[in-house]
Amino acid sequence: MKIVVCVKQVPATTAEKRYTPDKRLDRTSAESVINPLDEYAIEQALRLQEAGTVESVAYLSMGPEQAAEALRRALAMGGDEAYLVTDVALAGADAWATARVLAAALDKLAPDVALMGMASDDAKGSLVPGAVAAIRGLPLLSYGSELRLEDSVARIRRLNATGYDIIEAPLPVVASVTDQVGEPRYASLKGIMAAKRKHLETWSLGDLGIDADDLHGATLTRVMEVRPPEAKAPTERIENVPADEAATRIADWLAARKLL
Amino acid sequence: MSDVFFLAEFAGGAAAHSAQELASGAAELARQTGGSAVGLAYGEGAANGAAGLGSWGAARALVLGDGNAPAITHAARLVSAVRDGGAALLAPATPNGRDLAAAAVGLLGVPAFGPARAVRSEDGRLKVEASTLQGSWVTVSEPSEGAPSPAVVLLLAGTFTPQEGSGEAAVETVQADDGPLAEARIVESHVEGKAAVNLEEAQVIVAGGRGMGSERGFAQLQELADALGGAVGASRAAADAGWVPYQLQIGQTGKVVKPALYLAAGISGAIQHRVGMQTAQNVVAINKDPDAPIGEFADLFVVGDLFAIVPKLTDEIRRRKGA
Repeated sequence: MKIVVCVKQVPATTAEKRYTPDKRLDRTSAESVINPLDEYAIEQALRLQEAGTVESVAYLSMGPEQAAEALRRALAMGGDEAYLVTDVALAGADAWATARVLAAALDKLAPDVALMGMASDDAKGSLVPGAVAAIRGLPLLSYGSELRLEDSVARIRRLNATGYDIIEAPLPVVASVTDQVGEPRYASLKGIMAAKRKHLETWSLGDLGIDADDLHGATLTRVMEVRPPEAKAPTERIENVPADEAATRIADWLAARKLL
Repeated sequence: MSDVFFLAEFAGGAAAHSAQELASGAAELARQTGGSAVGLAYGEGAANGAAGLGSWGAARALVLGDGNAPAITHAARLVSAVRDGGAALLAPATPNGRDLAAAAVGLLGVPAFGPARAVRSEDGRLKVEASTLQGSWVTVSEPSEGAPSPAVVLLLAGTFTPQEGSGEAAVETVQADDGPLAEARIVESHVEGKAAVNLEEAQVIVAGGRGMGSERGFAQLQELADALGGAVGASRAAADAGWVPYQLQIGQTGKVVKPALYLAAGISGAIQHRVGMQTAQNVVAINKDPDAPIGEFADLFVVGDLFAIVPKLTDEIRRRKGA
C-alpha cells in the first residue's frame, strides 16, 4: 500500500508577515517551515509504514523552488521519495488551482491514500482536500483523529457532537487528519543525512499535462483592498489587588458593558 | 442568476444555528443582488425542516439529503443545485461546511473566499471582507473578471444574526447520481458524554487553559459559566490533558467562536488559540503571568490567582443577579 502526503511550505507561524504592493502575501521575507498541521499527516503516514500496513510513503508539494526545502525536511522525518510541482504560472494559486494541480500529480502517483493536514497555517480555507477528492472522483475521509487501513478500505475516527464516528470508504481515498493523530517526530541527524540521498523530483505543469491557460491565471479571486483592522481600545489591566477587589472590578466592568 | 445559496445543516431533527444565521445573511445579500435566498438542506431532519428555513429568510429550500451521513456524501446534489450559477454560495466555516464547499470548488472551478467576516454586493460585484494574518490585516476581495459562479464564501459563526420572522420556504428535492464522494459512510458511532453546549452559538464563553491545572479546576469554571448563563470552552492544552473533551476545544484545530463575552482563565493566548476567539466582542483574561500574550489583545486583563478570583467572581455575579 502507498500513501502520498501533501505538504505545503508556509511562513513560520511566528514570522513577521506583510503584503506586497500588488496585494499578495509576501512569502519571501519570512522564515519558511512545513505547514505545522501537515506534520501530523506525515506522522500518521510514517506510523502506518512502521506498523507494516503501508509499504511506501511519498510527499507531494506545490510551490516555488524553495519548497524543496520543506520536502527535504519531510524526508528527514522518514518516508521514501518526494515530488515538487513548481511553475511560474502557479504563483498566487487559489484553492481551485491548487487542487487541480495536486489532483493531476496524484493521478500520476496513484497512491491508495492521498493524505493531507486539516488546514494550512496561511490560507485557512481547508478546501484543498475536498476539492482534490471531487476532482479525482474519489471518496473523502476528512478531519480524522486517526487513520486506519485494512485490505481494501480506509477508516477514520472523527469527532462528532457527543463522541466520535468511524467513517469508512473503499480505497483509493483522499483523507485529512487533525492534530490528534499524535505528536510529529523530530528529524534525527541520521534522518537528515539520509534525506539528502532520497529521490526528489521536480515537475512542471507541462509534466502533468496541464495547460497554464486553463488555470485562469492560477486564481479566480483578487484582493482589492488591504487595510489594518479598526483600532482597538487599549487593554485595561487589573493587577496587584486582592482577589475580592479583582472580582468586584471585573463584575463592574461586565456590568458597564451590559454583559451581566 | 443572482440567487444566493446557503448550506443549511440539520442535526437531531432541527436546523443548526449556522443554518439560521446563513439564511438571514443570504436573505440580506439577496436583497442586494436582486435574487432570492435558497437553502440547501442536509442532515437529520432536513426533509421535514427545510420549509422552516423560510422563517429566517429563505424563499426556497432544496433538500440535498436526510439522515446521519458524512456531509460530503451530498456533494453531487449540491453541485447539481448550484451549477447554473448564482451570486454566491454561503457555507459555514465548519468541517462539514468546508467539505461541501470544497466539492463545489473542485467540481465547478468557482472562486472561493474566506473564512470571511462580512460579505456584500456592490454594483453587481461580490465583496468579501476577511481578517488575515492573525487579525493584523483586513482584506476585501472579489471574484476576478469572468470567473464562474456561484462564488463560494466560507463564513465564521456569528457573522450574521438570525432574524426570525414568519414564512415558509418552497421545498424542492434535488436529483443527481451519487458519484464517488457518496461512498464514505458512518459504520460506527460512539457516545462518550452528553452533548456539549454548542460553543458556536454561545453568547458567553468561559474558557480554561493549562493554568486550570485539573478537571476540578474546570468545575469552578462551570460554576462561573452557569452564573453568567454561558458555556465552558477550553484551549488545546486543557483538552490534551484530558480535563475536558475535545468537543470543547477552541482554536485553530477546534471551534472558532464569536461570543459577546469571552472570559479566558489560565490561557496564555498562543496564536493557535487566538485564531479561534479573536472576533469575540469582549475578551476578559485572568492569568497569573503578567507577560502572557493574551494580555496584549484582551480588553480587560486581570493579573492574579484565578483559583482565588474565579469563585469570588462567581459569588459576586450571583449576588448582582439576585440568585
